[in-house]
Amino acid sequence: MPDAVSLLIAAFGFGLVSMSVIALAAVGFTMQFGITNMINLAYGEVMITSAFVAYYLNRMGISIWIAMLAGAVFGAAFSFLINRFIYTPFQRKNTGLLGMVIVSLAVSLMIANIMLPIVGYFSVSYRERFSRLLRVGDLALTVNQITIMVLAVVVMLAVHALLRYTRLGKAMRATAANPTLARNCGVKTQRVIDIVWLITGALCGLAGVVAALDADSFTISSGAVFLITALAAAVLGGAGQPYGAMIGAVVIGLVTELSAAVWSPDYKQVVAFAILVLVMVLRPQGLLARRGALAAAG
Amino acid sequence: MTKMRWPRFLAVPAVALVLAACGTGNNATGGGLGSGDLLVGVLAPFSGADANLGPAYYAACLAAAPEINNNGGVGGRHVTCQKFDTRGEPADAAPAANQMIASNSNLMAVVGCTSDEASAVAKIVDKAHIPMFCMTGQSEFNKTKLPYFHRLVPADIFDAYAMVGWIIYGPSHPTWNKVALVFGDDIGSQAFVTPATNALKHFGKTVQNFPIHLGASSFRTEVQGMLNFKPDVILTEALGSAGTYLGEVKVQNGGQTIPFIGTSATIDPAWFADVKSTIGVNDVVQYYRGVDLGYTFSGTAYDEFKANLQTASSTFADASKYGQRGSTLHLYDGIVMTALAMVATNSKDPTVYNPKIKEIANGTSGATDVHTYKEGLDALHAGKSIRYVGAAGVNNFDQYNNSQSGYILVKYDAQGNEVQLATLTPDQTKKLSDAGGI
Repeated sequence: MPDAVSLLIAAFGFGLVSMSVIALAAVGFTMQFGITNMINLAYGEVMITSAFVAYYLNRMGISIWIAMLAGAVFGAAFSFLINRFIYTPFQRKNTGLLGMVIVSLAVSLMIANIMLPIVGYFSVSYRERFSRLLRVGDLALTVNQITIMVLAVVVMLAVHALLRYTRLGKAMRATAANPTLARNCGVKTQRVIDIVWLITGALCGLAGVVAALDADSFTISSGAVFLITALAAAVLGGAGQPYGAMIGAVVIGLVTELSAAVWSPDYKQVVAFAILVLVMVLRPQGLLARRGALAAAG
Repeated sequence: MTKMRWPRFLAVPAVALVLAACGTGNNATGGGLGSGDLLVGVLAPFSGADANLGPAYYAACLAAAPEINNNGGVGGRHVTCQKFDTRGEPADAAPAANQMIASNSNLMAVVGCTSDEASAVAKIVDKAHIPMFCMTGQSEFNKTKLPYFHRLVPADIFDAYAMVGWIIYGPSHPTWNKVALVFGDDIGSQAFVTPATNALKHFGKTVQNFPIHLGASSFRTEVQGMLNFKPDVILTEALGSAGTYLGEVKVQNGGQTIPFIGTSATIDPAWFADVKSTIGVNDVVQYYRGVDLGYTFSGTAYDEFKANLQTASSTFADASKYGQRGSTLHLYDGIVMTALAMVATNSKDPTVYNPKIKEIANGTSGATDVHTYKEGLDALHAGKSIRYVGAAGVNNFDQYNNSQSGYILVKYDAQGNEVQLATLTPDQTKKLSDAGGI
């Protein structure tokens, strides 16, 4: 088979891995915005901090797959606390959306700079960074990568089930659509928002560990890189739309890898973000706006 | 007519004033060294993708400070160090440089300014008349007209030639015919590509460029494309991304690492830790080869540097890890030379002491070699002219304030220490640069 075709097939496989990692991060990010109306730019730093929590457990001999759960728990608790002690007081003072974005940016910088002397400048890796390479024709994926893809599918299905088939999901959708009306209908919106921060924080922590495992090595500065792709997928899919974020992740994950194979790696991010800009021009509300799970209580 | 006479009691202070103005060293014609602490600005990335670069330079300053301060300072003035974070971005670097200059009237020198930000900050610092020692290999500084700019590392093109030198003249390796170039896709990193390609083709090698976007979270497709070329060896730098890239090379190549040769910037504890964390220390020792400037890591100056670096550990815990980092050695020397230049000219005015730095670095006819700040002070007080041969060895600034020495071919041991394997001779270096044609 010609090299170009073989590279294209391999890139498709890598695209599936990338989109799984991005989806995990983007769904949590977009749910946070959809339900709490908060564009949380500290999301990337919570991801990388959770990745480091898992790293220290991993270094103590705990399997990364168990440490991943600890990362998710940490992400949940950390996000909850950030919201309770930093974001909520500002929101109570009626700080506008733009003001809250600046606050979250400040939180992001604070976390990064507090973490820097603790974790250091040097790159680290999980012990399980290597796993068996499985080949099917030109498609070559490691056991870790396949596990990440399965994990992403399971989490996406769980998010779908949560939003569609549970009372909590219904309350979340009601809060997202109209918090005042939801409150008047007896939905305890503050409790819903607290739970949303816990759930999306757990997704954030999980995504951080997965992204760090996928990247082989990571530093505290990796948080910013993680945030950019999650943000892009969330915006592409329609801000606040979990299903939109999933579609955004598919587009960005596949396009970046395939364009690197077809064209040049130099332009893979250019292509992905060009598509994002195009969508924003043609459909500013994103791919799934007003049609996603959080669009209306149903 | 009455003759006007100077009162006798004015004679003593007048003589004292004249002597003070003369200072204690030769050529001491400046306006005095002033008072209060002096500041060395470490203008470099401390956050962002290149956050590992700044600490190496900060360590240099923290080691130079006790070297100077424990020997009386600069005319009694203590040297202090302050970080100014450029985040590795020109857009952040220019305001950082401006803020550094505007808020510190006691700047004696600036160190750092990597390829990330040198283009943005060098003119700003030069305009403020502050001597700077930059860690950039960018070709735009090969013939710079900025009088306050100093470069103690060679231009990137010489690193490229030295890496090709590993392939052509390096010891104990099989013949490498197919060479993959893996550097960042930014202009600075791609500066290695053309000279390396020209030289490799001249020597009959097949070469292909595989640029990567530094800081990306994965390089799977890029690695697969590179592996399809079936290279015998990889030339790389990829600061901040080498671990991820080489880890993916190993995974996709069925657990087999491909030999790789790094630039002098890869002789760095952060780079070593990054790559070690993904491919394992055994593979780094077995498959990594690098080029470096010809440091001896021994002698009076180096021993003093090591001791000062140890002292610096109380302020910056990782300082002692930079004992074999070329840039740390060079910047330490740069700061010590600046302090000596201030003493030699008895001036706190950079327009006066800046030209003296080059003179102390290169030495003039009959100059006494000194290896430490104290030796320098003693010689200056004895009225001698000096040549500072510091922790990084001899300096030889050209008319463009670029100083460079020969290359050595190296590897890492399991602890991350540099091990010298061979030296590129001047004849070999000439053949390589002729082949590169730049």
